[in-house]
Amino acid sequence: MFAKILIANRGEIALRILRACRTLGVEAVVAYSEADRESLPVQLADEAICIGPADARRSYLSAPAVISAALVTGCDAVHPGYGFLSEDDSFAEVVRAHELTFIGPPPPVLERFGNKESTRRLLGAQGLPTIPGSDGMLRDDLHALEEAERIGYPVLIKPSAGGGGKGMRMVRSPRELESAVKVARSEAKAAFGDDSLYLERWLEDNRHVEVQVAVDRYGRGVHLGERDCTTQRRHQKILEESPTMALSDAARNELCERALRAVIAAGYENVGTLEFLVDADGNVYFIEINCRIQVEHPVTEMRTGLDLVALQIRIAAGEPIGLTQSDIEFRGHAIEFRINAEDPAHEFRPSAGLVERYLVPGGPGVRMDSHLYAGYEVPPFYDSLLGKLIVWGEDRETAIARAKGALDELLVDGLATNVSIHQALLTSEAFLEGRMTTNLLDRVGSAAFVAAAARA
Amino acid sequence: MASSRQDDPGAAPRTTESRAADHAAIDRLAEELVPALAAKLGATGLGEIEVREGGWRLRVRRPAGGENYGRRAGDRPSRSQPGHAGHGHAPGALEGHRAVRPPAGVAHSTNGASHAAPDAAARSAEPPGRRRGDPDSHRALATSPAVGIYQPRPDMAPGTRVRAGDRIGIVDMLGVPQDVVAPADGVIGASLAESGEAVEYGQELVVVELTGSPAATASGSASGGAPDAERGVDERAGPA
Repeated sequence: MFAKILIANRGEIALRILRACRTLGVEAVVAYSEADRESLPVQLADEAICIGPADARRSYLSAPAVISAALVTGCDAVHPGYGFLSEDDSFAEVVRAHELTFIGPPPPVLERFGNKESTRRLLGAQGLPTIPGSDGMLRDDLHALEEAERIGYPVLIKPSAGGGGKGMRMVRSPRELESAVKVARSEAKAAFGDDSLYLERWLEDNRHVEVQVAVDRYGRGVHLGERDCTTQRRHQKILEESPTMALSDAARNELCERALRAVIAAGYENVGTLEFLVDADGNVYFIEINCRIQVEHPVTEMRTGLDLVALQIRIAAGEPIGLTQSDIEFRGHAIEFRINAEDPAHEFRPSAGLVERYLVPGGPGVRMDSHLYAGYEVPPFYDSLLGKLIVWGEDRETAIARAKGALDELLVDGLATNVSIHQALLTSEAFLEGRMTTNLLDRVGSAAFVAAAARA
Repeated sequence: MASSRQDDPGAAPRTTESRAADHAAIDRLAEELVPALAAKLGATGLGEIEVREGGWRLRVRRPAGGENYGRRAGDRPSRSQPGHAGHGHAPGALEGHRAVRPPAGVAHSTNGASHAAPDAAARSAEPPGRRRGDPDSHRALATSPAVGIYQPRPDMAPGTRVRAGDRIGIVDMLGVPQDVVAPADGVIGASLAESGEAVEYGQELVVVELTGSPAATASGSASGGAPDAERGVDERAGPA
């Protein structure tokens, strides 16, 4: 096991990693930017070190600053959390070059799974169904037109680099395709420094289901079930639950087992998430793998009773996983609500500022992972996630009932939050009947959705 | 925005070099400091921020009735490139931040100092006499441009006269030296960090007694460091 871990992230995930370190009895150092001097992980840490200014490019995204901080504080490992440097294989490589351990997949594994298109082919070859798409990267306009014709319109133009739905474009005709490819190329170049694009068939009404896996260095692994992340606003997940309503129990189980077999065969290591789209007919397609701990990992923790961050750290330290599939028990239903500093009354504009009062909900099956406290000033420089409310119940109905109570109890005074969209979801027929699709909120309009729920 | 050179331009003939240096300084202030200050202005809701860096004074003012609407979380306070290598960091930008909202009474260290309780009261508990960028102060503080190992310049002993921007030491970040620069014209005073010590970004490293202040005059004429008693007087004489 490691002696001391540098936590190279902020907000709720920095706190979550700090807690896992304490559970494991490992010392931790929280690396923070000047804007996060008064943040909760910094306050609670035994040791904290300022690595740069508010600008993330000179702090949380600066590999030299992070590694220098790890070295001067005597750490032997770096936990990148999610976002920032978490899936940067060159960062992982530099970490290793300084004789530190990157907590995540080892650099060669990250590199192998770093490119979405080649990962799709790699895991496709291991038996995972993939969305019909272009044969490799688009060479030129003619190639794009030929491939789109073969796949069938509408098609989705996707950048090879990047994630989070950035830079994707859907086109319905050859006429649209040419100009959209041009724009997508320049956008991808600007955003990711890589203008490689590929095409995929556009699935009109789809759902997003992902499988959590954990594999140790010795090729032994388990799947930890699936999460349904269909409820999205502008390609950003806002609510995740498990089990999914999109598949039967048998189909869910088969998907999880296939996913685990495929990643072990492809040489994956550490915790990871395989994302799938499920179409209206129940067909499942692999889209990508996330080589990091994810925002929504507590959903899985609530159902399995495992500490995924501690497991991730143990695997990175070279420990055998110590679990077989038969050890994993799935209990009840869990739902996570992302509490964002966004104002539903004003197009979900991000908000920042002083948290005047903060009350955390409680009761059976209720968990709040958040870095907020009364008197904390949310800085305007980073993403809008304030925390995650996770509820568990023996069944979905119980979980939903507890969630309604918990969302009513939650109080964040001083900032606008997106709590009302969660309350609207919990009373909407589409959600209650398990008929959400990834585009539903955007099609209806999130503000209209909230307003409709308020009238009902 | 207003920017002005504080010292009298008529005092010394302007050479091509000094003009070029001024242009470079203006470019750097405009590129690094102004966006940072503008972002800070937006974030704090203050009407105006003024900072001094080196011989420069810079004031950023919010337009009347201007609101901070439409700001996105992804917005960055600065357009400058990532600070991986040893290009000019702006200690003045730091001072600007501190002057507007000084660090709360939270102790930070690289070896596990305790942190203050997270209550709003801590916010106003500013240690006296440590306010930087304060126009009435007689001292300025050189801060660390990076996280790494501090090495003072051996020839920068207490009592040495420095100009704003002079390199008075380095912080080694993964083998790349990052310059520690004098924040203002003055005389090197007390050291706040040891040679070879691990330091964090923004850590206070060296006191610079400002030229013309009683402390600087006293320590400038003597060969020793700035007398502590005299600094104590300055602190007490600070703004109430």
